[in-house]
Amino acid sequence: MTPTMTVAATAKTDTPSVAGGAALLALSLTEAADAVARGEITAVALTQASIQAFQQKDGPLNALIRLDAEEALEAAEGLDHLRKAGRLLGPLHGVPLAHKDMYYQPGKPNTAGSRIRREFHPAHASTALQRLEAAGSITVGALNMAEFAQNPTGHNAHFGDCRNPWNTDYCTGGSSSGSAAAVAARFIYAALGSDTGGSIRLPASLCGVTGIKGTQTRVSRYGAMPLSFSADNVGPLARTARDCARIMKIIAGQDAKDPTSSREPVPDYEAALTGDVRGVRIGVPRDYFFDDVDADVGAAIDAALKALEAAGAKLIPVSLPYMEAVATYGSIVSRCEAAAIHAEWMRDRPDDYSIHLSARIYGGFAIPAAYYIEALSRRGPILKAFADAVFCDVDVFAAPTVRSKVPTRAETDVDSGRAGTIAAFNAVSANTRVVNYLGLPSISVPCGFDARGLPIGLMLQARPFGEARLFRVADAFQRLTDWHDAMPPTNALA
Amino acid sequence: MPEDVEAMIEQQVKTWFGVAVPNEQAREMARQLAGVIEGFRAVRGSIAFEDEPSSFEAALLATKDRELLP
Repeated sequence: MTPTMTVAATAKTDTPSVAGGAALLALSLTEAADAVARGEITAVALTQASIQAFQQKDGPLNALIRLDAEEALEAAEGLDHLRKAGRLLGPLHGVPLAHKDMYYQPGKPNTAGSRIRREFHPAHASTALQRLEAAGSITVGALNMAEFAQNPTGHNAHFGDCRNPWNTDYCTGGSSSGSAAAVAARFIYAALGSDTGGSIRLPASLCGVTGIKGTQTRVSRYGAMPLSFSADNVGPLARTARDCARIMKIIAGQDAKDPTSSREPVPDYEAALTGDVRGVRIGVPRDYFFDDVDADVGAAIDAALKALEAAGAKLIPVSLPYMEAVATYGSIVSRCEAAAIHAEWMRDRPDDYSIHLSARIYGGFAIPAAYYIEALSRRGPILKAFADAVFCDVDVFAAPTVRSKVPTRAETDVDSGRAGTIAAFNAVSANTRVVNYLGLPSISVPCGFDARGLPIGLMLQARPFGEARLFRVADAFQRLTDWHDAMPPTNALA
Repeated sequence: MPEDVEAMIEQQVKTWFGVAVPNEQAREMARQLAGVIEGFRAVRGSIAFEDEPSSFEAALLATKDRELLP
């Protein structure tokens, strides 16, 4: 039997008190969920608003792969009946979500953004998605993504590029492109993404939303299309740190179906959101993360750190050990694993891949196994040495999520064959992929805009299983600033 | 450093995996593996860990945040 919570006896039960879909979708996830729980708005109203937003505004963005409107509305009606009966499934009761099209749902196609898996119908369900639905969320559809979750820009040759809501000429970031674009454009309240080298944090940064990859092993990967057994992570993108905290509490934790998932207890992340950063030691790296940083990006990060300092945090310059090794090792692990996963298709169906993806996978075959094993065998010792050296002096360390301004889709279109596109494409994930090698939890929050009006992201890292600490700092930052409230210009969605 | 990384890789990948070079971009990305080779060369001798059994999952737990929040 599904566990339920009791609704307050004073809850209203009828039509939404807030008129208009746009107004409903302007709420944050936690605001929407709490309003449903109080009986102030209905799941049907929220779901209708989300469906209409996709139907009417997604054309220029191309964030959607599949809309399950009828099924979502049926689920919403059922949840409204439950609530009227005084029962809530959980802390997401009645909230519409949509997810990157790589989370399995029995009976539904799961494309992974690819031609090869366009007709793939998985027989089992994603644990993360099941947990979200068990907490009362409604799945309205499947979102665009980089082909097989393997690019940092959001290009997709099979379903069309997902486009940035702030300016459709620019990259959304990838690979969770549709997740970030749909959340930024206020089509949905949150979405699952996945992150192997930055695929949650990059699109979160480029589209101006919040996204977190937890500690490696924090969230079950069962029923999620694999890219790299060692570095894949499941996590949310939403508008605020509080929204992400609520989702993370639901999806994190051991799963018998994923033997790599951690048994570590999952804290009440929302309870950690005190707004208080007094005394929090924030490391500012001397090494690697600020190399060749763009001036606009550097200024935005500097301003963000000063805001936290003014609220009582301490900024501490830190040296990061082994970054050369981390960058080298981190550059090959997922490539080798992706090559192993895709070997058969690369032999038999090479023309069914986009140009940039087959090019990327191809190189993975050439990396010697001894190097791959060296990278993996040193991962633990390097993490220990890194943590001992860094986290004895600081609680978190900060960096730009992306060192450069948001690139245009043309600048990073490897398939075009234009000179310089491969370098621009590879540069996007320089700061994120090293964190995946270390396995640290990492969150990206909006912290400003460049001179062209494109978002900039601040990335924070903590010790393993320090997600609560990241949420606390990120939430405090969002209480001090309003970057996360900024909405993309409506002309991009006309 | 081999003078012709591209040709070496093409032969190696074909021999071991039966995968042909799919496009010109693959050739360029393969050439860029020279940078990875250089990276591994640079790392040699810079890391002084004992080659004892290790586990990344154990390292995550050994280095975890012990001040449980909230």
